[in-house]
Amino acid sequence: MIKRYAALIRNAWLVDLQYRASIVLWLLWGVTEPAIALGIWWAIAGDGSVGGYARADFARYFFAVMLINQLTIAWDSWYLDRWIRDGELNYRLVRPLHPAHEAVAENIAYKARTASVILVVWLLAAAAWPAVRLPLDPGRWALTAVAVLLAAAMRFFISFTTGLLAFWTTRATAIMELHAGVSLFLAGRIAPLALLPPAVASVAGALWFRSMLAFPVDLLTGAVHGTDAIVRGLAAQILWLGMWFLAYRIAWSRGIRKYGAVGG
Amino acid sequence: MPSIVTADGLSKTFQVKVRDPGLRGAVRALFRPRYRDVLAVRDVTFRIEPGEIVAFLGPNGAGKTTTLKMLAGLLYPTSGRVEAAGFVPWTGGPPFKRRIALVLGNRQQLVWDLPPEETFLLNRAIYDIPDVDYRARLAELVALLELGDVLQKPVRQLSLGERMKCELVASLLHHPPLLFLDEPTLGLDVTAQEAIRRFLIEYRDRHGATVLLTSHYMQDVTALASRVLMINRGRLLYDGALDVLVGRIARTKRIELVLGGDGGDGHRVTAEALAAFGDLKSFHFPNAVLEVRREDAPATSARLLAAFPVADLSIEDPPIEEVIRLAFARGVEEDQ
Repeated sequence: MIKRYAALIRNAWLVDLQYRASIVLWLLWGVTEPAIALGIWWAIAGDGSVGGYARADFARYFFAVMLINQLTIAWDSWYLDRWIRDGELNYRLVRPLHPAHEAVAENIAYKARTASVILVVWLLAAAAWPAVRLPLDPGRWALTAVAVLLAAAMRFFISFTTGLLAFWTTRATAIMELHAGVSLFLAGRIAPLALLPPAVASVAGALWFRSMLAFPVDLLTGAVHGTDAIVRGLAAQILWLGMWFLAYRIAWSRGIRKYGAVGG
Repeated sequence: MPSIVTADGLSKTFQVKVRDPGLRGAVRALFRPRYRDVLAVRDVTFRIEPGEIVAFLGPNGAGKTTTLKMLAGLLYPTSGRVEAAGFVPWTGGPPFKRRIALVLGNRQQLVWDLPPEETFLLNRAIYDIPDVDYRARLAELVALLELGDVLQKPVRQLSLGERMKCELVASLLHHPPLLFLDEPTLGLDVTAQEAIRRFLIEYRDRHGATVLLTSHYMQDVTALASRVLMINRGRLLYDGALDVLVGRIARTKRIELVLGGDGGDGHRVTAEALAAFGDLKSFHFPNAVLEVRREDAPATSARLLAAFPVADLSIEDPPIEEVIRLAFARGVEEDQ
């Protein structure tokens, strides 16, 4: 299986290298959103603080969002929608490798590429700007790595499962857009969850949105501390990962039976 | 030897949404969607033996591709039983998938932005092909398909014919004993079509592979298939050799004449004179084509030879397209 993944990742990178401009565009997109959010909160915070967040806290938060969002984001619903509607799924189904593996390999390739560049950006920024430096605490980094892995796996299954809706509807990507829009607020992309109205923040915590991004970000910046809070956060991630995995299994086995195998 | 493909009472019904035209119809469909059953394949039964090349014949929407996709495990049959390469396709998993190849003329697996060799390398990894085998098979396929210098060009720069050849290479590197080809020559020029046909026969002869194909091109069928399965509106109308089908459907034979002499006054052969022997299809001296009843062909030929100075004479079946058209129009059973 390692050989197969190596070959899939290699091909994904080879394709990327054909499109240098698009790499830059994706990167700009990944940097712009948190940069704008940071700019706004920077102005609002002024010399004081908002909800306990001073300028330096916002800077750390949005740098962490920038990195962790790139490490956990999944585009699979768009790919799957096309595979299903255009019949590109056909040859993937006759290969002795589940199409989800190709999607996972694509994710690894994408994340390794964009996140490594963002990491360099961050290191350069941290060298010049003490505010965005993080404490060198190996334990915290290790926990964050686990939380990022769980979040990435969950977002993969959310995206893949939503893409599978293309077996039934032509609007699968619209559903994913809607989810992305909601997660802009509920996952903490636009503001730390601590600053949201308590009712909204509790919805984010009760559903999977906090586990997607805000929790690993808070873990990295130190906003989540204490064994209790960390264990609860990780448990919620595992729970939601399990739920979405289940949803994926159901959608896959039903969808594949329904599949019209377009093209003739 | 056991059959490599068995289909038993195979049926597939699609549910298709129906709506009345216009805005009102669209709104009604939104709230109360209505569905209609489309019987794409109905109660189809056949067996295919190892090493056969079998063609599915039928107009668009006849159920050819649907049948092929059920055999390849892409579609779940509504009812019936299928076994292919020793497996029930949709539960066969990777062991089944290693034993088949599916080539779709209008869908490609080659990575568009990379040279075809990258897709081959990917498939080497996916199918766990040992390096020695990979190199030997690639060399063989490249030689048979005369692919030489295209392996390093990005796929998007290849011609349609080159792409289809590379598609075949990608699909055959794992040496499947059972090949499903859906319109493998679609859109190709005559040279490329012939190259693909030559290749398929050579490949079958060398490796004993079984080939099931659908095609719109009659030449594909006459050149490749020892046997045809004729499908229309989801039903299997005929299963057997192509020439037997022709004999059953075509009530006539064509006698093609090349007349001798100079056509001058001494030996004037007139259209009227020829027409006395059968239905004169065309006459441009020295060529003439007569259509006669099948059973009369030998006797009429003898009489023609006696009556006119004939340089050459041949007895042919009517063009195959004509026979197929007739078969679908009348139904095959009529002349049994």
